[in-house]
Amino acid sequence: MATNGNTLIQVKHLKKYYNRGAIKALDDISVDVHQGDVIAVIGPSGSGKSTFLRSLNLLEQPTGGSIFFDGVDITKKKVPDASGRMVKMNLDLHRQKMGMVFQHFNLFPHMTILHNMTLAPVQVKGMNEAVAEKKARELLSRVGLEDRANAYPIQLSGGQKQRVAIVRALMMEPEVMLFDEPTSALDPEMVGEVLEVMKELAHQGMTMVCVTHEMGFAREVGNRVLFMADGKVLEEGTPEEIFERPQNPRLKDFLSQVL
Amino acid sequence: MDSFVKISNFPMVFEYKQLFIQGLLVTVLLSILTVVIGFVLALILALMRLSNFRPFSFLGLNEEGFEVDGGWRSVVSRFNPLSLLATAYVEILRSTPVIVQVFIVYYGVFSLIHLPSFTFFGFIKFDRFFPGVVAMGMNSGAYLCEIIRSGIQSVDGGQTEAARSLGLSQAQNLRFIVLPQAIKNILPAIANEFVVIIKESSITFTIGVQDIMSAVNAVKGATFILVEPLLVATAIYFCLCFPTSKIIAYFERRMSRGDKR
Repeated sequence: MATNGNTLIQVKHLKKYYNRGAIKALDDISVDVHQGDVIAVIGPSGSGKSTFLRSLNLLEQPTGGSIFFDGVDITKKKVPDASGRMVKMNLDLHRQKMGMVFQHFNLFPHMTILHNMTLAPVQVKGMNEAVAEKKARELLSRVGLEDRANAYPIQLSGGQKQRVAIVRALMMEPEVMLFDEPTSALDPEMVGEVLEVMKELAHQGMTMVCVTHEMGFAREVGNRVLFMADGKVLEEGTPEEIFERPQNPRLKDFLSQVL
Repeated sequence: MDSFVKISNFPMVFEYKQLFIQGLLVTVLLSILTVVIGFVLALILALMRLSNFRPFSFLGLNEEGFEVDGGWRSVVSRFNPLSLLATAYVEILRSTPVIVQVFIVYYGVFSLIHLPSFTFFGFIKFDRFFPGVVAMGMNSGAYLCEIIRSGIQSVDGGQTEAARSLGLSQAQNLRFIVLPQAIKNILPAIANEFVVIIKESSITFTIGVQDIMSAVNAVKGATFILVEPLLVATAIYFCLCFPTSKIIAYFERRMSRGDKR
């Protein structure tokens, strides 16, 4: 199922140090994300998984290395344009192309579900309000929430909120979706409905990077798995390689605890 | 038995009821304008305090363009003149008495700026009223700034992260996501500040604003009785402030009920 197309995100020697290097949250990480990849990032808590994911759209400022997205190094303040002139890097523009889903949903509580979804396309992309609304309703019906369009986030269950958060990100038609432990804050019986949406997304060919504790999902849906510990990628491979033939003792130890 | 209040004095005070009515109008008008000016000023100050304007940020970058932590260059790079200016303003205004500020504005600033002397509504002297509004507005701006700042900071950081990850700019995030939620949180505190302003506005009678306290002063000058007009003023201030704070408390309860749903 691996569909290794063009390289979408190229992470090179990414570092995130605190206290003048005393704490290394990310210690020299290099990863390529290809078009159509579904990458599962696993590892013990405090291993830097979330920091890594959040660095990809610069919610976390790295202290070294580079992240090439669509050929532009987004860690730099100034980048060369088509004619080679140095211009200010437009981070907002790149963030539009990276959808992000958070552990705690982060829906906007003062807006209806519909408004949550149409805000960014209308304000950022200048999409016509009616067009955005139609699109939002289509996406909502795809995740089975068309009847909740006018509800407020507080009226939804955790699973419903996370499904809305996913389609809200999809409204911007991102090139890649970043998931930061999307099911960790959910009641167990709601995990399935969210994973189902993510699975469907993966089958449609969406490029995804998921930090997850759902080993079943990582195994079944991912085409590559990264195992992180102490801010390093200790092992990388297909789900089979990682789960059936783990090499690194830390990974073996980790798997024996979670499986 | 002797009492410090003589009932027989009240009819004499009552003859000056027109002064008290005018004073009430001035106090209410002054308070409303103060809140409006104070709020606009406070919003600007709060945004300055929370801004990320760092003109020396280039000093804190290493050869590759990443921020270094630690060292004097890192300290200088974080220097934000806008935030410093706003913080200084707020701390100075909050640490000095209102009456000093009112005097400095009236006898200092407005001795240089000549205001046209005319009256509006038939009895309000503009050249006294306006400096009063400016001084009170400057003062409440400092207090409201702290209220707004805490309101903005009380909005969950995840909201900003979600907004920015959707591609919204910093300004759009503030306008559509953070401020609407912050204002809902701080509305009760702003309303309470309004009650404080109604009471503190009495200080402006010292620069000749014809508010309720100035009516007391006028009655005293004309009749040599003081306690009874003061009691009338007490009653008027109480009737202004007590219902206002009760109404606020009502809305506060209703809002918090909405949150629990």
